[in-house]
Amino acid sequence: MRSARSARWLGLAGLGGFLVLLELAPRAALVPARYLPPTSRIAGALADELGRPSFWAALGDTLAGWAIGLAIAVAAGIALGVLLGSVPALRTATSSTIEFLRPIPSVALIPLAVLLFGTDMRSKLLLIVYAAFWQVLLQVLYGVQDVDPVAMDTAHSYRLGRWARIRHVVWPTTLPYAATGVRLAAAVALVLAITGELIIGSPGLGREIAVAQTSGAVEAMYALVVVAGLLGVGVNLAARAADRRLLAWHPSVRRETGP
Amino acid sequence: MRRPVILILGVAVLLAAAGCGSSGGDESGSGSGGGTRQVKVGVIPIVDVAPIYLGKEKGFFSSRGIELTMETAQGGAAIVSGQFQFGFSNDTSLLIAQTRGLPLKVVSNGVASTGQDNADYSGVVTRDDAIRTAADLAGRQVAVNTLKNIGDSTIRSPVRKAGGDPSGIKFVELTFPDMPAALEAGRVDAVWVVEPFLSATIGAGGRLVASNYVDTAPDLTVALYFTSEQLIKDDPDLVKRFADAMTESLAYADAHPDEARQVLTSYTQIDEAVTAKLTLPKWPAEINRESVDTLASLAVQDGLVTEQPDVAALLP
Repeated sequence: MRSARSARWLGLAGLGGFLVLLELAPRAALVPARYLPPTSRIAGALADELGRPSFWAALGDTLAGWAIGLAIAVAAGIALGVLLGSVPALRTATSSTIEFLRPIPSVALIPLAVLLFGTDMRSKLLLIVYAAFWQVLLQVLYGVQDVDPVAMDTAHSYRLGRWARIRHVVWPTTLPYAATGVRLAAAVALVLAITGELIIGSPGLGREIAVAQTSGAVEAMYALVVVAGLLGVGVNLAARAADRRLLAWHPSVRRETGP
Repeated sequence: MRRPVILILGVAVLLAAAGCGSSGGDESGSGSGGGTRQVKVGVIPIVDVAPIYLGKEKGFFSSRGIELTMETAQGGAAIVSGQFQFGFSNDTSLLIAQTRGLPLKVVSNGVASTGQDNADYSGVVTRDDAIRTAADLAGRQVAVNTLKNIGDSTIRSPVRKAGGDPSGIKFVELTFPDMPAALEAGRVDAVWVVEPFLSATIGAGGRLVASNYVDTAPDLTVALYFTSEQLIKDDPDLVKRFADAMTESLAYADAHPDEARQVLTSYTQIDEAVTAKLTLPKWPAEINRESVDTLASLAVQDGLVTEQPDVAALLP
């Protein structure tokens, strides 16, 4: 316990040192303060942002896009993953297609998204879902493949139906994989939400960053970037907490939280 | 203001939207039936479009049964948006789009140069003491926000006028927000900037060498509001009402610069101290046709287009 606490203090000290460095570098004229303002001025701009209703609306738009996109990607990824994983013929038939589609960077779909949906939320959702979906799908596929054949044979011997086999054998094995997929997808979805807003101009934090940039409002721009970073940290912490709850029974988590 | 590619994509979207029977609109009665039409306009959140925001605030659109929504698209293309009816773009992009066969038509003026040398909202700035006049830009690196567009096209004019050889200028593409830092770090010899970056660059120790819009044509019309020919055919009344509202907005903004400065704070993040001081463009209600002709000839001369644009067909 003691080592965990000192690690936390060391982490905070590291972060503090980084902030001090960012404060001092522009003040010592190592970098021009006009383009990288000291931390204190960014913090001031952040406080200004927090007082603007448009900031909260943008934050809401970003989070809504992230949550909806992630939900769609997770639902589709798990459903398709279990289906493809449990039917070997389907798995073989689709694997080359998946290997072709998966590496296409989501941002390359921006022109398509704009053509289909313009600047509204759906453009952003297309990017988010496309990027997040593969993270979940692949993990679920691995998970389904990892099912113990002996357990499966046993289930067959007990004459468990297809649904019961999925529920009691496949799913418990797949869940930790799926959880990893969701955690990866959550981070990727946030990246794509902000990217979509920044480039396409869909409402959200990314668009606010773009507006601040085109306005030459350097401090406000950095303040919004900081908010995006904090969102990333928040998403990661939430995903890990959810993992721990969902997989409390699983050896990997039990060991982590053990004495 | 930016890439023609995006412009073309945007126009394709505009046409697609118009083809789908303008599904975004007519919720309360269509056309001239007196109901309110929802209208989306693709703009860039920059100083140039202050009149449309001010006009909306003043009710010039709602009084004509238009419920206006601005879609702000980064990367300028003004028109990167889905179901929208009108867009805002610089003349050169529109001329290029027209020669590529996109059926679009200008509905009203957008923004114009102040026409005053050394007091325009656009200019070429340097920190290099060796660059005294525009003629010295020959052979130097000059940053523009989009290659082969209105920037390089108009920058060649002052160079020619000062007796330099514009063909030797090396144009580099940078976004306006990146230019002040690039100039200060010496990565480029000069930058073409518009407000608010023009005052910022000069404030940071830059020196204005040329007012490129002023040297290109007297009172140059820089950008215009446009729509698709499809919408003009489907709903000429809406187009007329929008054009009327736009004309009134332009005249009002031009006559009330303080209110135009004020409205900037509503849709940009430009610092209030900056908005109070920056040079506003002109917003004449009428398009300066001759200046558009000049830009068309320059576009041909500089090889931005392969055929002569039909200015008369593009303008209303």
